[in-house]
Amino acid sequence: MKKSRTVKLALLGGASLALAACDDNSGPPNDARYFADAKECAAIYDDASCRESARASEQTHLAQAPKFGRKEECEQEFGAGNCETRQSAGGGSYFMPLLMGYMMGNMMGGNRFNEPVYRDRQGNAVMNSGGRAYNVGSFGATAGRTAASFRPAAPTQIARGGFGAGAAKFGSIGS
Amino acid sequence: MQRHSVTPRPDWREHVERDLGFAFHTIDGALYWDETACYSFTAAQVDELEAATNELEQMSLALVGDVISKGEEAFERLRIPRVAWDAIAGSWQAGEKNLYGRFDLAYDGVSPPRLLEYNADTPTALFEAAVVQWDWLQSLWPERDQFNSIHERLIEAWRNFGLGGAHLHFSAVRNHLEDGGTVDYLRDTAMQAGLLTDRIAIEDIGWDGARFRDLDGNAIEALFKLYPWEWLVEEPFGEHLLSGVTKVIEPAWKMVLSNKASLALLWEMAPNHPNLLAASLDAGGIAGKQARKPIYSREGGNVQLLDGGKVLQETGGIYGAEGFVYQAYAQIPSFDGNHAVIGSWVIASEAAGIGIREDVSAITSDTSRFVPHYFE
Repeated sequence: MKKSRTVKLALLGGASLALAACDDNSGPPNDARYFADAKECAAIYDDASCRESARASEQTHLAQAPKFGRKEECEQEFGAGNCETRQSAGGGSYFMPLLMGYMMGNMMGGNRFNEPVYRDRQGNAVMNSGGRAYNVGSFGATAGRTAASFRPAAPTQIARGGFGAGAAKFGSIGS
Repeated sequence: MQRHSVTPRPDWREHVERDLGFAFHTIDGALYWDETACYSFTAAQVDELEAATNELEQMSLALVGDVISKGEEAFERLRIPRVAWDAIAGSWQAGEKNLYGRFDLAYDGVSPPRLLEYNADTPTALFEAAVVQWDWLQSLWPERDQFNSIHERLIEAWRNFGLGGAHLHFSAVRNHLEDGGTVDYLRDTAMQAGLLTDRIAIEDIGWDGARFRDLDGNAIEALFKLYPWEWLVEEPFGEHLLSGVTKVIEPAWKMVLSNKASLALLWEMAPNHPNLLAASLDAGGIAGKQARKPIYSREGGNVQLLDGGKVLQETGGIYGAEGFVYQAYAQIPSFDGNHAVIGSWVIASEAAGIGIREDVSAITSDTSRFVPHYFE
């Protein structure tokens, strides 16, 4: 494949436009859950894993979250009151979306999954992973960073195996 | 390589404007994004274009090293202003990274691709290639492939650029729809890589005696400028830019490649290379039918097609003061009366995809149409 797997635009076009190619499967794992912080997480998983996930998500957030020179631009994407000010190394200030919590999953597998979660201007809970935006749920009308205000998105069920029966039956396809 | 007629998507104008933010699909009332046709390639043809592009980029980088080691004599042949020499050598020796470039190739699917010119400093037609043609193919034939991973590679290139937390400003001339759209798109990819970005018109950049400043008074710590280096160095703030106070993208060493005299130096370095056309800085240095191009020119301005001193065709413009390069004429393949030139992109010096521009004239200009492609 020599074409981009997905082309998502952050600034141009529709808000959080995600044009995912059909072979795109890098969303959160099925067991991923949202936690506002390590304390909420610790009600379900062990303390150490929760603290580690919270720390990793915070680092990802600082390194990869979109950063804006102007507050209005940030709020246009993420909604009024959903952006915070940071100081740049050069002494100026900039804006980035508030970290609302994180998705954590793949607890049975070896690679634990952590991704920061943000609230967009429509109240959707979105995850930014490798330049892709995933809608992973929504936040209730009552603002607040708690699991209670988070509603997970209905999982997308993908049926597979609809093709290939002939190859399994007859063996070689090429001639 | 074949041209096909295609039925445009009925709502394409509304769709590309609303969903992609593509504002310059029509320029001066004439169609620029043209999905009434498309080109198809074979996988072998795409492999050939990719290999040729990588080879041309490696030769170009070798030429920069060669010019810098030769110094004055080579800079003079390239008509690069003396004031820029130290900055060019300094940026190269410091290993300053480059983001992108576009090789324009004459290619008919049969003979090897030939380099018409290298747009190394301020190439446009990027958004159309990276996003609009990708979206077009996903709408029509998502299962088909396209030589185009430009978008993903741009995000990756920004991640590896080493800008840290520097405040990166994207700049183009004010009120220019196409240039503005191109820098907005590049800014979009930088944001997705987690960089701190801003937008400023080139005319609005301020200088406080020690640093460049934006309209809010923030320091411009890094500057992406869709504005030619050869103009910047001659303008009032040019000396400050050359002092290295701000990291500039593209880096100063791209000046070696962004002027067309480099075509003659490439030919001297690799004579008879299958992907090059014979080129000379001397009138009469090339025999037969040839193109005379200004050393500094854009959008196909002031080009003459010559045969034995006779002018066959020419375009108007404001370029040519620094002299000309003479390049052997390459037949631009014509498909149903349309001359198609391939713009082959390098992102972080690696081949990343193509965009095709068609023109009814044999000299591609800024009024040409962008036509999408696929391969199988």
